[in-house]
Amino acid sequence: MVDILMPSTRTPGNLRQLTIYLRRDKLALCAAFFLLLLIVCVVFGPLLVGEAAGKLGLRQRNLAPFSLEQGFIYILGADTLGRPILARLIVGAQNTLGIAAAAVFFSMFVGGMLGLVAGYSERWYSHVILRLADVVMSFPSLLLALIVLYTLGPSMTNLVIVLAITRMPIFIRTARAEVLELRERMFVSAALAMGASSGRILFRHIAPLVLPTLVTIAAIDFATVILAESSLSFLGLGIQPPDFTWGAMVANGRGYLASAWWIAFWPGLAILLTTLSLNILASWARTVADPLQRWRLQSLRKAPR
Amino acid sequence: MMLGYIGRRTYHSAISVIGLLTLVFFLTRLTGDPSALYLPLDSSLEAREAFARLNGLDQPIHVQFLDYLQNLLSLDFGQSLRQNRSAIEVALEAFPATLKLAFVAITLSTTLAVIFGALAAARPGSLFDRAVSLISLAGASTPDFWIAIVGILVFAVGFGMLPTSGTGTALHWIMPIVVLMLRPFGLLVQVVRGTMISVLASPYIKTARAKGMKRRRIIFGHALRNSLLPVITVAGDLTTGLINGAVVVETIFGWPGIGKLMIDSIIQRDFAVVQSTILVTAIAIFIVNIAIDLLYVALDPRIRY
Amino acid sequence: MRRTSIRIIAGAVAIAGWTGSAAAQNAAEVNIVLSEQPANLEPCGTIITNVGQILSRNVVEPLTIIDPASGQPTAGLATEWTQTDPNTWQIKLREGVKFQDGAAFDAKAVKFSIERMTSGKVTCSNMAKFGDAKLTVTAVDDHTVEIKSDKPQPILPTLLSVIMVVSPNTPADKAVNDPVGTGPFKLSSFTQQTVVLEAFDGYWGEKPSITKASYVWRPESSIRAAMVETGEADLTPSIAIQDATNPETDFAYLNSETTAIRIDAGFAPLDDVRIRKALNLAIDWEGLAQLFGADAQRASQMAVKGINGHDDTLAPWAFDAEKARALIAEAKAAGVPVDTEIELIGRNGIYPNGAEAMEAMMAMWQDVGLNVKLTMLDVNDWLRYLQKPFPEGRGPNLLQMMHDNNKGDAAFTIPIFYSSAGSYSTMDDVALDKEVADAMAATGEDRTAKFKAIFNKVHDDLAVDIPMFHMIGYTRVGTRLDWKPDITTNSEIPLANIGLKN
Repeated sequence: MVDILMPSTRTPGNLRQLTIYLRRDKLALCAAFFLLLLIVCVVFGPLLVGEAAGKLGLRQRNLAPFSLEQGFIYILGADTLGRPILARLIVGAQNTLGIAAAAVFFSMFVGGMLGLVAGYSERWYSHVILRLADVVMSFPSLLLALIVLYTLGPSMTNLVIVLAITRMPIFIRTARAEVLELRERMFVSAALAMGASSGRILFRHIAPLVLPTLVTIAAIDFATVILAESSLSFLGLGIQPPDFTWGAMVANGRGYLASAWWIAFWPGLAILLTTLSLNILASWARTVADPLQRWRLQSLRKAPR
Repeated sequence: MMLGYIGRRTYHSAISVIGLLTLVFFLTRLTGDPSALYLPLDSSLEAREAFARLNGLDQPIHVQFLDYLQNLLSLDFGQSLRQNRSAIEVALEAFPATLKLAFVAITLSTTLAVIFGALAAARPGSLFDRAVSLISLAGASTPDFWIAIVGILVFAVGFGMLPTSGTGTALHWIMPIVVLMLRPFGLLVQVVRGTMISVLASPYIKTARAKGMKRRRIIFGHALRNSLLPVITVAGDLTTGLINGAVVVETIFGWPGIGKLMIDSIIQRDFAVVQSTILVTAIAIFIVNIAIDLLYVALDPRIRY
Repeated sequence: MRRTSIRIIAGAVAIAGWTGSAAAQNAAEVNIVLSEQPANLEPCGTIITNVGQILSRNVVEPLTIIDPASGQPTAGLATEWTQTDPNTWQIKLREGVKFQDGAAFDAKAVKFSIERMTSGKVTCSNMAKFGDAKLTVTAVDDHTVEIKSDKPQPILPTLLSVIMVVSPNTPADKAVNDPVGTGPFKLSSFTQQTVVLEAFDGYWGEKPSITKASYVWRPESSIRAAMVETGEADLTPSIAIQDATNPETDFAYLNSETTAIRIDAGFAPLDDVRIRKALNLAIDWEGLAQLFGADAQRASQMAVKGINGHDDTLAPWAFDAEKARALIAEAKAAGVPVDTEIELIGRNGIYPNGAEAMEAMMAMWQDVGLNVKLTMLDVNDWLRYLQKPFPEGRGPNLLQMMHDNNKGDAAFTIPIFYSSAGSYSTMDDVALDKEVADAMAATGEDRTAKFKAIFNKVHDDLAVDIPMFHMIGYTRVGTRLDWKPDITTNSEIPLANIGLKN
């Protein structure tokens, strides 16, 4: 969907330079910090607050936020079963980000493979791959996901599979386009002349050159997948209780909008902040990669105008 | 030339649609006999069997499929189990509501995105640019279901300014349209801004500027036209994605469109209606894609099919 | 503070004529917001909540009407009924009644309606109440019919309340969306957005004070509540407990539904009565009640008070985690595999806070040491577990369920739950089967006593299920209407019973 926005990843730039660029863009810096904090939560959170997140407190249902009477863990209030929302946000982050990461990874891996094959070979299966990508692409992904999840039953594995399939066409198309260009290059002919097999050329020589582009797309797609997963969970077809993600938490609080807004508000805000941070970083990366815009992050006092 | 191209596209799309319908036919049937869903909970096994027999659900799945294909040839799309009438009639009745919503949303968001994106690109790095970038990123990152319920909470329940849901007056349109617009608007602003920046840096614009042409004319007269092509591509892709948004928006706001119908009929296992809505949606998306190709030709004389 | 500002703005909007519900301004017109779109308007499906709430006793009328207070049948389109022999009833019909299309209401029309229901050509939900009975109808004279059944029907007059009489011009072989009946209102339009009913001038009874009613539907309870609050609608028959915040407009009513967990006693460790009792004892009922509202009543049996056979003296299980642990330990010592994983099967959207209740109960059972795991299913998959034949390969399982009996007699509850042939039953107890059969054939006080005995046995001795709560429904009624919900509100909202203030 946003493939024309892809930055070129072949821009040179070492870590130090990137850090300097990052420090010049305050917003991107905040986004990076937020994501870092999130990763820390995902790794260590469940160890610290995992028990609190599952503990019933039926007598403190829908506890209002910003009160410290029950302890700091209840600062964001309690949900419909009296469980602290803060703890559930932290634990929910693991599922939310885990599902998105798994889906993006499989989508990139399988889509990349299929794209490589479709780009390199002219055989019938290449056409089938492209046609299938078209079918998936030309139909609203959410609807496809709904039908498949209703058939297979909602579970974490199925959710990952469905999300991976709906995001796959982008990887197939990009990988194919890159291969089409690369296979005309000298080194491929050279390898062929030296008697290398197609498989070897494809996976040893071409694939490593395609990978950086795919990784960039994957990074940007991550936000989209988080949103898609939340929508499915919100519609009740994502993850099922007692497991939960942020999207499922919003769905849970939906019935309490008028009486306990915080139940649906915080997890929605968490989704928003996460995807926003990812998008801000992606946009920053584009600026860094774009020679026409990079000057804004460099230490020139006067803008050339 | 052009007609041949459209013919080829139609042929390819028809194959895609038939493939999709076949896939969906078998997927939905995999969920099992829905008879129990249509009868009261305390109905007897005999009653359920009689229902299945009456509606041909007791036949083996391949027989059902052949029947479906045969009926399709005579333009019979089956009966809605739920509504006692022709499934395609149900789908076509719901379609205009979605079409109106999607059309207004995509037109408004494209127009606004072009204006804001172009103005932002005119002074990259300015306060206005940064504000527009942040807003557009936030728009693209917002979970639509969440902003919809927060909107209801604030504007309908809190202030009582807007109706909570439903159709009727102009006021009913505001929230669904705004929610549906957010994502396309956010993505399009970034596209417009990105392409405008590179166009504005190109030699012919510099020449125009050197000749003393007015800024406004440069931006909206010359530069914009050249950055429209990618905008149209993305807007086209977004139209498909808009149906995803429509499912969520229609569900929350009780908008009687095809998205809501689709999700209802999947939940209710109203197979014929699921199939008909998919058919109608796929054809609509196909027409949009053809229209975009034609627009391309109109805008860029270099493109020929 | 917030509420006043809403009123002011809502008032301003209404004055400006912007609400779009122009009907709200005309005093004799009402807007009703339901929770779900009626799939169709087939009069044979009036036991389905959203169809019945629109059609029943508005467009089409039944032969008898169940009195909400006593549970006894009273005159509807039938005025008198007598049992001539155990299998035969003779019914006298009301005279001077016309259908909305001008056709006359007579014995032939009743015969046509019943035959349309039983023919099998139209999917008829209402027939489920008759079980597998075969009915034969003969017209004795213009206003008398005789109904014969292949087996004794002691409660036929009660069953007649689901027979909706339709005009003889209705197609007999297909379901319809344009019902024509004898009711005080006729269908004016049915679209994807609304159903509109208008007063029928030729109605036989007293003219209702409402002249026109529009029905819309919104799945969100909070939205329905807000619509009545802002005046967009006048009445909504169901809102969630958390939205029922205004005592002036929100009324609670016992809605004849009972929630429960079914225990599949066919698998170890659930085949052991100690484990089943422990399941009942391990729940913190008072804490759980928070999810169901202060008015919900703790249930000890699957039928509510007022239903013939309900035993008011039967005490529900109380919370006693220690006793539950002791029973489990005792069972474990006797060799029962108490560590086996037990699947708790819930259904999405079964009732407000349904999923939360399952999560809470799972946690409570885990707390006493039972290995319970929750699976939430959607309706169609859940139904496979609810009704026979049950899925192959299932293990020990507990099923979330809700049972609705507003037909006045435990006959609509006991056989399907507790006899081995019952469609929800996981029981296979010959002695109990015989008791159920005896009770079903009995009449009068004997019938009541026998039903009570069965309820006692399955609760105290066998602990075959886990009754939870007799549920409470909440309605929100606009201030200009004079109307109170009752036990029948889940199946009908007769517009004729709605009064206008001022």
